[in-house]
Amino acid sequence: MNPKANGQLQTEWSWWIAAYLFLGGIGGGAYAIAAVNWFLGESASASTAVGLWIGFPALLIGSVFLLVDLGTPRRAVLAGMKPGTSWIARGFWIITAFMVLALLHLILHAFTAVGQTASGRMILSVVGAAGIVCAVGTMAYTGILLGASKGIPFWRTGAVPVVFVISALVTGHFTIMLIAPFYRGVTAEAVQTMSLEAAALVVLEVLAILFFLQAAFKTPDPRESALRILRKRSFVIGYFILGLAVPFVTMLIVYRSVASTELSSYVPIAAGAALLGLVGGLILRQSVLVCGALPTLNIAGFEFRRIARPKDPKPGIGMLPPQ
Amino acid sequence: MNRTQPISAGQPSLSGLRMPRYGMVIDLKRCYGCYACVMACKVKNHTPPGVFWSRILKGEAGTFPNVVRQALPVLCMQCDEPSCLEVCPTGATVKLDNGIVIVEKDKCMGCKYCMMACPYGARYSVDEWESYFPDGLPLSPYEEFAKQAWEDKSGVGVATKCDFCRDRIAEGRDPACVEACPAKARTFGDLDDPDSEVSILIKRYRGEVLNPEFGNKPKVYYLAPR
Repeated sequence: MNPKANGQLQTEWSWWIAAYLFLGGIGGGAYAIAAVNWFLGESASASTAVGLWIGFPALLIGSVFLLVDLGTPRRAVLAGMKPGTSWIARGFWIITAFMVLALLHLILHAFTAVGQTASGRMILSVVGAAGIVCAVGTMAYTGILLGASKGIPFWRTGAVPVVFVISALVTGHFTIMLIAPFYRGVTAEAVQTMSLEAAALVVLEVLAILFFLQAAFKTPDPRESALRILRKRSFVIGYFILGLAVPFVTMLIVYRSVASTELSSYVPIAAGAALLGLVGGLILRQSVLVCGALPTLNIAGFEFRRIARPKDPKPGIGMLPPQ
Repeated sequence: MNRTQPISAGQPSLSGLRMPRYGMVIDLKRCYGCYACVMACKVKNHTPPGVFWSRILKGEAGTFPNVVRQALPVLCMQCDEPSCLEVCPTGATVKLDNGIVIVEKDKCMGCKYCMMACPYGARYSVDEWESYFPDGLPLSPYEEFAKQAWEDKSGVGVATKCDFCRDRIAEGRDPACVEACPAKARTFGDLDDPDSEVSILIKRYRGEVLNPEFGNKPKVYYLAPR
């Protein structure tokens, strides 16, 4: 095994962390959309009811993915000890607060009649406002975690949190659209509104990802990573085409047609597009993670980075090279 | 001091009761990339396959046909402002009074954030001490010993890194890589002592650090190869 070389891709954070960031984004995005809808007076709408159900479980499952990736999970309780400097410690407290508020909001909204009284609505408003702050914090945290990593120049930009926040809203919205058909109160108008919102969010995400990539092209080390991510078939096909372009077109079609046709015929189409968008969101995070590379070291005019060479013919000590 | 003469690695010095600030100087003109430091580190610290607390990078400069190749020994830079310490959520990464940055294995939860924060790529994490031999062969007796020694000192499932062989320093010896270097390219000592060899070398030959733009203030200095 060769020593680690600068310019080499990081391999420590991959699918588990991608899934953690993805589910954190879904939880934050779905809850934020639901809580904002609640404040707008749509407390009985499909997106409010479904979104409140998504926030807490998504974060809970996401935390399990993080625990699986930890080298020593039994020490996870120590994670919040240094919130002054570490974004993992800050994230620990942000996510903990968000999970408590999301669960409280869900219980109050779905299992009690608190929302029927003026004082109850006041309580829900306080919980919802605090929940939105924590949800935005959770969405931003998934990007800031990477943006604060000094060792990976590709991530070290303010564009990463922006991309991740918008992608969190998109994936949260797609998750609501995926589950909403099972909610008995869903109407054609609701699906139409959700489709338009989803298409608008996808446009925002495309702008954000283009901004992120063009910023990466300005400096040598991030440029290498940007080229690598653009050469990844899963990123171009899985994320850009199937995860953004196809859902965008589908959402526009659903928006234009659903009011004049039977709602049930559009449910599988919208759900399918939402599912593609969700897979795209996961691919985005995994691609950004695995295309991160250590910076080039240099001194006195020398550059020290990974030198491309044929694969070592000797697989290990004690084995002869293939004849 | 004549740069072409071998320079004694010297002992870390204590001036009275003052705490030293340990650092290292690597003379790139002397280093020819023999990997003796890499092997000495592996033997001393029992690092498993794929873990290189001390490593050699090869770099190139110039344009054809005037091209030169250079070896660059790299280890933990024991930064004065370590980004690994900043991001450690559990407080497992600690900077000692003598400037050496260590990982307290009983506090590390293995989140690997420090590995993403270190721009020099000095940190490693190991989930299991695997054999150096292929095809799933069982550990050899030496490997069994090394595995146990590694688990006692560094541990699995936690971040690990070079600590300037602080157990050797405590015995008044130089780090293993310094002692093993056949070209005497490495010098170890107290950066705060103006009379120490490291201070004199840095001052006289204008020692520089790798990528100062990172802002970590490394304590490993390099003397330019030309």
